[in-house]
Amino acid sequence: MADKLPERRTIASSLSESSLTGSTTTLDYRPFAVMPDVRIVKIGGQSIMDRGRAAVFPILEEIIEARKRGIQVVVLVGGGTRARHIYTIASELEMPTGIIATLGKYIPMQNARMLQMILARHGGVFMLPDDFEKLPLYLSLGCIPVMSGMPPFGYWEKREGNSRIPPHRTDAGVFLSCEFLGCKRAIFIKDEDGLYTDDPKKDPKATHIPRCTAKELIAMNLNDVVVERMVVEYLPRARWCKELQIFNGLKPGNVLAALEGKDVGTIISA
Amino acid sequence: MPKLVEGDGRTHIESKLMRESLQDRKVLKGTDSDRDVHIFPDVTLISIGGQSIFDRGKSAILPLVDELAEVKKHHKLVIGVGGGTRVRHTMAVAMDLGLPTGGIAQLVGAMEELNAILLNALLAPHGSMPMQREHFWDLPLYFDAGITPIAISVPPFHFWEPPPIEGAVPMHGSDFGLFQLAEVLGFRQAIFIKDEDGLYDKDPKKHPDAKMFGNITLDELLAKPPTENILDEELYRTWADAKNLRRIQIINGLKPGTLTRALAGEDVGTIITKPEARRG
Repeated sequence: MADKLPERRTIASSLSESSLTGSTTTLDYRPFAVMPDVRIVKIGGQSIMDRGRAAVFPILEEIIEARKRGIQVVVLVGGGTRARHIYTIASELEMPTGIIATLGKYIPMQNARMLQMILARHGGVFMLPDDFEKLPLYLSLGCIPVMSGMPPFGYWEKREGNSRIPPHRTDAGVFLSCEFLGCKRAIFIKDEDGLYTDDPKKDPKATHIPRCTAKELIAMNLNDVVVERMVVEYLPRARWCKELQIFNGLKPGNVLAALEGKDVGTIISA
Repeated sequence: MPKLVEGDGRTHIESKLMRESLQDRKVLKGTDSDRDVHIFPDVTLISIGGQSIFDRGKSAILPLVDELAEVKKHHKLVIGVGGGTRVRHTMAVAMDLGLPTGGIAQLVGAMEELNAILLNALLAPHGSMPMQREHFWDLPLYFDAGITPIAISVPPFHFWEPPPIEGAVPMHGSDFGLFQLAEVLGFRQAIFIKDEDGLYDKDPKKHPDAKMFGNITLDELLAKPPTENILDEELYRTWADAKNLRRIQIINGLKPGTLTRALAGEDVGTIITKPEARRG
């Protein structure tokens, strides 16, 4: 047996001899954008959902108006204070990041279900991460798909730096959805006008940054940023999603303006 | 009794992370410690190569199944499998068609599952079952019943696969997926069954002068990485940042008895260790 090894039966292809580690391939790769006209917009958990009706309803009204104007909107939503609560307790219990990421799936899911119920009479449909394949149907019917922003990584979420908190949370989910669908700009509705030199809720001297690149932002080495660090790291190597737009959804008109492609808030570009 | 905190327009539940930005480095650091709970510290993950074993067919698979049927009587094992040449073919067609990275990631796991079904059909008479995606909490039940679960090896990144560092091929394949399973669940070790005696500094199939690593630490390996690697690079990157798994062994599954010896703790193949990872 050991002297005569059975042969590998290989299907001939351009990658059949590749180890698939690194980019050893010389393939002619011409990717296409799957649904580039879709606007993926995130409603923040702590910043919007935890404010309840006063913040949520006016934002949804602008989303409904955008949909009426023919804009294909997909709503993703964050977690908020309940996520922070379970992360605190799970961290104390020294849970691995993969378990904390799994716990982190449930709260944005609740929030997505809440938004779906409110939006139902305007075409709100609840969607799971693997339901992108149904998106053409939902959008052609004039629906407003709503889903959790949490990536489906769960137990497979990697640890990052000196932290137990999953590095890919609902901002990453918005960015990665845009990257898969081939959308240029990921839109984030928060309760601040965008990027500041520090957390404006804690430091009144923090100043607003209307525009910057991912590289500039990384070079600033801020202790705190308005968007998840993984997203800023991915942005320069993204193929489709080249811009993040972050703005204050509590100011009337901002959501509709952003969905119509206008520059409000901060734009972080690749 | 936790209380609700209001006053800034938002309703908070009192907790250490209340009102905090989860991007704040100081806040993040406060969530960490030197260890994680180790949930299943007496379990070994076994990964069986796709190209290296399954693509060789019956004469490579059956002796290994016989050996697994024997060792499973004495060890708590979770088995995962690679997809082999069909994964490469899938990717070659998908890339020629211009599918985005997330679209390719959504497709490939199906090819690994074919090998998992074959393996289970052979091992089921000795007690095995395919394990559904996240059914880890069934593991005590499996082991009490003498059942060895066969796990899904490709991680569920799917459409949401992050943009790769280089090129368009998804970075998170079956090696990473199985590593992560062992890491998160706090397994004792992972054994990767391939068709070479261990890990070499270059591909021994192409270079007769390739040298095999004996026992090596992860840090030593990362300092002089092999030019062609038998395991996905993402596995090493992730392991470097991980806390729990201490030992990965790479062995030759074409040589009967090697797996038995590895599970008995013998120095066969290449043993990569990460001494600084602490065990509870």
